[in-house]
Amino acid sequence: MSVRHTLLGLIAQQPRYGYELRAAFTALAGGRENWDVTPAQIYTTLNRMLTAGLIREDSSPVDTPSEKRFYALTPAGREMLEDWFNAQVNSAPQQDEFHLKLMLARSLEWVNLPRMIQAQRSSLYQELHRITTQRQLLDPARELAHILLMDKAIMHLEADLRWLDMVEARMEDVQKQPAPEPELRRRGRPSKN
Amino acid sequence: MAIIEVQNLSKVYGAGDTAVSALDGVNLSIDAGKFVAVMGPSGCGKSTLLHLIGGLDHPTAGKVRIEGQDIAAMKDEQLTELRRRKMGFIFQFFNLIPVLSAAENAALPLLLDGVKPASANAKALEWLEKNKLADRAAHRPDELSGGQQQRVAISRAMVSDPVIILADEPTGNLDTHSSDEIASALRSLVTDWGRTVLMVTHDPRIAAYADRIIFLKDGKIVDDTLMTGEASDNARRLKEKVESL
Repeated sequence: MSVRHTLLGLIAQQPRYGYELRAAFTALAGGRENWDVTPAQIYTTLNRMLTAGLIREDSSPVDTPSEKRFYALTPAGREMLEDWFNAQVNSAPQQDEFHLKLMLARSLEWVNLPRMIQAQRSSLYQELHRITTQRQLLDPARELAHILLMDKAIMHLEADLRWLDMVEARMEDVQKQPAPEPELRRRGRPSKN
Repeated sequence: MAIIEVQNLSKVYGAGDTAVSALDGVNLSIDAGKFVAVMGPSGCGKSTLLHLIGGLDHPTAGKVRIEGQDIAAMKDEQLTELRRRKMGFIFQFFNLIPVLSAAENAALPLLLDGVKPASANAKALEWLEKNKLADRAAHRPDELSGGQQQRVAISRAMVSDPVIILADEPTGNLDTHSSDEIASALRSLVTDWGRTVLMVTHDPRIAAYADRIIFLKDGKIVDDTLMTGEASDNARRLKEKVESL
């Protein structure tokens, strides 16, 4: 993932040491529960980037204990970081567990489909309520970075709920169509003609 | 304690072959001091339910009790009196009077009720201030944004100190930002001022401010969700995240 680039970016801001990098990463990513990087991950990444010449060891600032190893960006590291800033971020893949559930359950008459949709809806609403409540406690004057992250979560839940409404409205039509099945292919080697 | 009780409530529009059942045997009990949202596809009966609870329409069958009193059994004057003393209404279109200022619009219900202008005005200003509109009191509706107009409408609904506020698609005519403002204002009526709010909406974002969501379909309640239910894993993670920040 982009842990490597984020660490490079943090080092680009100012020379930093390992423990500090982990704390800075966590703060940036919205808390450890949101995106947890282990110390081992940080140190392995730092060593690789050191070997690859993306960062170099920097002299410690005067007022810090000398055992802390500070890292600074190299021109190669800067170039890699620029490439990352210029590259697009892919949106989340279209893997949806609830869609799988629906498509399987539609042909199993012992599953209560409307109930399943409603249960999913309730739980999404509970989640949306919690995030909305938490978001209101944040102070726009100081915590805008975190508010933006929560807004993204809110918008995703909103989209999930609207999608669920659509699914419910169109389930009857979906049932009239054949379920997605693989095309049957002949086994063995293709024939030689 | 239940401030609103609905028993076996039905409403049929028309008669014979053209009869349409808008509400079909609904049972519901709403506690005082809660924010409740009613959701469902269009035509599910959610506005009908709100209108019956507000005494704006008569049920075909069933009972609506407000603080224990059955409103279906009331005479028109009694009902009007109850609406005036106990209920505040907020609609999708703000229905403000264009030639009056925000303060005059908000004070109007009290003035019509015979309250002295000075105290009606004071009460209007009090609620405009609670709705963060103190600096707009002298503005006419066309000088205010949609969100601000709706907050004037909320102030107008609140001047007679109602215990129940009924809101019918209060954000239906507003952008996302203004909708959030209105939802916060309604939330505050419950959390800060101890009122009961019943709101019909189709907007998930706005419904999420409520304590409870009632889902209607084809005139029946299909689900009733308390928003403070057992936290899912994802919700728990987000909560921990926020607390760790």
